[in-house]
Amino acid sequence: MWFRKSNIITVALLILFVYISMRLTEFDLTKFRDFRNMIDFLSQWFPMDFSKLPGMLEDTFETLAMAFLGSFLALLIVLPISFIAARNTSSSKFLFHFSRISLSFVRSIPEIVFGLILLTTLGLGPFPAVIAIMFHNVGVLGKLISELIEAADPGPQEAMRAVGAKKWLANLFSILPQIWPNVLSQFFYRFEVAIRTSLILGFIGGGGIGQRLFNDFKTFQYSSVSLDVLIIMIMVIIIDFLASFVRNRII
Amino acid sequence: MIMVENLSVHYPDTKVEALTNINVSFNKGDFVCVLGKSGAGKSTFIRCINGLQKPTGGEIYIDDQRVSTLKEEQLRKVRREMGMVFQHFSLIPRLSVQQNILTGTFGYRSSFKNMIGYFTANELELAKRVISSVGLTEMANRRVEYLSGGQKQRVGIARALMQQPKILLGDEPVASLDPGTSNHIFTLLKEMHERLKLLTIINVHDVDLAKRYATRIIAFKNGHLIYDGSPEDFNDKEYYETYESEQQNSFFSM
Repeated sequence: MWFRKSNIITVALLILFVYISMRLTEFDLTKFRDFRNMIDFLSQWFPMDFSKLPGMLEDTFETLAMAFLGSFLALLIVLPISFIAARNTSSSKFLFHFSRISLSFVRSIPEIVFGLILLTTLGLGPFPAVIAIMFHNVGVLGKLISELIEAADPGPQEAMRAVGAKKWLANLFSILPQIWPNVLSQFFYRFEVAIRTSLILGFIGGGGIGQRLFNDFKTFQYSSVSLDVLIIMIMVIIIDFLASFVRNRII
Repeated sequence: MIMVENLSVHYPDTKVEALTNINVSFNKGDFVCVLGKSGAGKSTFIRCINGLQKPTGGEIYIDDQRVSTLKEEQLRKVRREMGMVFQHFSLIPRLSVQQNILTGTFGYRSSFKNMIGYFTANELELAKRVISSVGLTEMANRRVEYLSGGQKQRVGIARALMQQPKILLGDEPVASLDPGTSNHIFTLLKEMHERLKLLTIINVHDVDLAKRYATRIIAFKNGHLIYDGSPEDFNDKEYYETYESEQQNSFFSM
């Protein structure tokens, strides 16, 4: 009644993919036999060592600044580009395709690759990390915002053309207010993602709390590692909370 | 004032001719209602007049200017003297009533002034008068999405009036409003038409409204102009011609 032949094939294929993926990832639950190792290891994390708290907080703000600056600069850069990369507002077919392809090219390069290149060429520290986050987010936000522009209600655009406004101004005024809540919502989401990214970029020398976590871990200072992790968790939760608050206020 | 010669439009994706060989002209002071079934070509016709739709054949002259050969810049100058009112109001969301109405001046001002939102005392004064003439003074600072349908259409009309137009176009301006509100909107349109000595061309579904307000009625059927005359002469026979007889082509058209 509810199942068709094609459903059975789908399920069979899924089971096959799960099996192949398990083989490729050496997925084996019996490895948890040595679970005691983990308890031994984690017991070294406590008690937490609060002596380096001020430095950790400073690094946390550095991480936040990296994420904010990277994603916000990306938003500023990408807003005008998005209008070129949207089918309905692009001034020419060529520019539309060119900008779309450029955006997906930029997007296809992970931040960590930008990070590795920039940290090597510009030197260690948060600045290359900011640029890496910015580049990647130009690609991501460009795609998201240009799709928002394409989905905007054409009514106001026609109305602005009909009053005799210049085409670009008509597009700007009729589309931006429509998509603004969604743009901000996407921006906040990318900001949250950028925080996690900047932690990873810290591991390769990008500074911030990520780098501190990595250093503490590599030098076996597990009682500091635990506090680093705690601070990161609190930071992410607070930002999540703030972002949803701001989003609700705007929409 | 407007002269339409052999106007034809066909949309490339359908084989249906939206408009075929339309010849008609309008003068200052006409209050024209355009009748016809959905898909008869009314909307296409109105949109051709201000260049939102490009004709595939024929010509439209507005004050002896050929619309189809105009460059974007000249087209803007023609458009800014033509107000247009839309079925779904087409207001800019998140902007206030006053802000929406001020966008009606955009065709006359520099892009820089429009961007930063600098308006002269004269423009603000005009906006104030226009807002009060459509009865929205108390709503001036409210965001348009919080207004009722009738109020939204008043904003639409006010935006068109801000253009200080010579011609007023309406693409089904009352089709999404209830009968009472439709009547109010038509009364307002007629009042503005007379006060500003406009040429007004409006698409309507409601034949009674058209007969009550229009000084002239034209009717389309399957892209052909089948009636052009006084409202008094649009009677049962013409009504049947326009709306009831054979169904051809109406299935795929808009």
